[in-house]
Amino acid sequence: MNARDAILGRLRGAAPDAAQAAALLVAPERPAVDESALEAEFLARLALPSVSASHDAIDTIADLPAAIARYLDAQGEAPTLCLPPDPRLDPCDWRGFTLHDVAAPAEVAALAIARRGIAETGSLIFETSPAAPMLPNFLALHHIVLLATRDIAPYLEDAPLPGTQPRAHYWITGVSGTTDIEGTYVRGAHGPRFLHVILLRG
Amino acid sequence: MSGFDTRAAAALADSTLKTAVERTAGTAEAKRTLAVAAFPDFEAARTRAAAIKDHVIAHLGHYLEQFEANAIAAGAQVHWAATADEACRIVVDICRKANAKNVARSKSMLGEEIGLQHALAEAGIGRIETDLAEHIIQLADERPSHIIWPAMHKTREQVSALFKAKHRTPHEEDSIAAMAESARRELREQMLGADVGISGANFLIADTGAVCTVTNEGNAELSLVPPRVHIVTAGIEKIVPSMPHAVHMLRMLARSATGAALTQYTTFYTGPKRAHDRDGPEEMHIVLVDNGRTNMREEGLADMLRCIRCGACMNHCVVFRQIGGHAYGGTYPGPMGAVLTPALDGLAPNRDLVQACTLNGKCQEVCPVRIPLPTLLKGWREKSWREGLEPTSMRMGLGLWAWVARRPALYRLATGLALRAMRLLGRRGWIETLPLAGGWTRHRAMPRPAASSFMAQYRKERRP
Repeated sequence: MNARDAILGRLRGAAPDAAQAAALLVAPERPAVDESALEAEFLARLALPSVSASHDAIDTIADLPAAIARYLDAQGEAPTLCLPPDPRLDPCDWRGFTLHDVAAPAEVAALAIARRGIAETGSLIFETSPAAPMLPNFLALHHIVLLATRDIAPYLEDAPLPGTQPRAHYWITGVSGTTDIEGTYVRGAHGPRFLHVILLRG
Repeated sequence: MSGFDTRAAAALADSTLKTAVERTAGTAEAKRTLAVAAFPDFEAARTRAAAIKDHVIAHLGHYLEQFEANAIAAGAQVHWAATADEACRIVVDICRKANAKNVARSKSMLGEEIGLQHALAEAGIGRIETDLAEHIIQLADERPSHIIWPAMHKTREQVSALFKAKHRTPHEEDSIAAMAESARRELREQMLGADVGISGANFLIADTGAVCTVTNEGNAELSLVPPRVHIVTAGIEKIVPSMPHAVHMLRMLARSATGAALTQYTTFYTGPKRAHDRDGPEEMHIVLVDNGRTNMREEGLADMLRCIRCGACMNHCVVFRQIGGHAYGGTYPGPMGAVLTPALDGLAPNRDLVQACTLNGKCQEVCPVRIPLPTLLKGWREKSWREGLEPTSMRMGLGLWAWVARRPALYRLATGLALRAMRLLGRRGWIETLPLAGGWTRHRAMPRPAASSFMAQYRKERRP
């Protein structure tokens, strides 16, 4: 008997009633979120020490390059950026930037477009696709994220979309950090040391 | 002395160890307290988390088959391993087929449990531990001493000396930030050059076939996205029915482990790289490991299969805080380790481990899935007694006590004499030495007892 049959042979039983599993999710306990002020709730979580992201806001996608240039200049970084091949960025004029679409091992800054923002935790939700590679978001020292305010949802249950799942669905809630040496928090363990969110309000 | 006694005695004599454990566990305890205070319904959420896990364990076969079908539909290859050796063989075979020279490993307690690091070494496959604490442990050639902070037993001074000895361009300034930067420099290039990435799973999502990992460092993603092959080794109890169930468990996990509302990076991997994706592995393999879990389910330890490996029980354990994790001897330390180790490695060699508990119940109070750890430990103690594993001195001592306790007059006489003797020994308010109890008084003094026993006082109070 192979391992699969041996294991399942000892575990087989009646299939659960689907309603049984669903009943476990009725009115789940979760931290309260004011659903009438989602942007304010989201920004409040972004500012928590555990997330410690900075933010800016723009009215149209065409304003994005200037907002990124402002941020990089304030950080003392050159206007060099790893950009995803996303057609939503087509209206942007990137003159003055050095752009590339494959992240370097010591990438300085990468832009990504978040699928959702979650007010409960200040999380940014991403999904991989041909237009949305994953690795740049973990290699860059400065992770810059564009998020439309209409995509802010209250709870983590709102993060996944129904239907076919992407190769990777991932939630980012702060910068790469560690407490592995004596429990002391250090930013930039392996990945980004800075997280900057640009809200698109238009 | 037994193996556990020897290790515990050595740990108690190591003041550096106590300092290191206290610094991290103390911080973790304080952070969890704040996180729970900020979540008013946390107690009800614990009850729900326990109910979700109980439902899954009761229908484990159904959810495993559902997970397998969905993972295969997403392009992953699913393997089953009844034992640790079988799991290691499967992983090594996949690495060999991929012609792997180096693997990057993201911290996984199951990997430790099955001895994967040894299997890879025996197969001549290089291994890079990418979690900072596991990197420290790998450099020091030691075992993890905690399931969340594997290098908890190391002080910053010890880590600094280790990195200076082993890193190619070590830190100069002796700060924790500079040490972390040194590890970042050392590991990044190695992670990007790995042929295979190996992870565990915090959760397996039955209705999508996704594998969930959580980290604060982002090392899982950096270990698993660049290589050609991603291998997951996961215990069969890691299943949850759906994403919303996983969301509830994730709320409990981070708060209980580190006191955060959520870990910085939470990723759900569903199959290998898709057509036209720019990154991601070409192959994804998921090894579902039993290694004693079906036995636990059948033999009265189903409650232990609720465990989500948060480490809260050990952070709050008075015994763990004194001796650290290595003294426990198994893969898993602390209260959850004291319950799991006899199930994984046998009761006979771990008879004294299940006695190393004051039964104060603190672990059960903080467990996010309400595992009755003291009750399970008592179950092991009873089994040890039934199977005759207790030493003769213990059996004779308890036998004598039981004989006296069944004779009330004799019992009152004996306790009265003991009371007088103890009051004489504690004339200054505390008893600092006690015949036959040197192990107790070596580390702490006992208060002088009251002048008469509880029963004597009770009778006196009732007298009109």
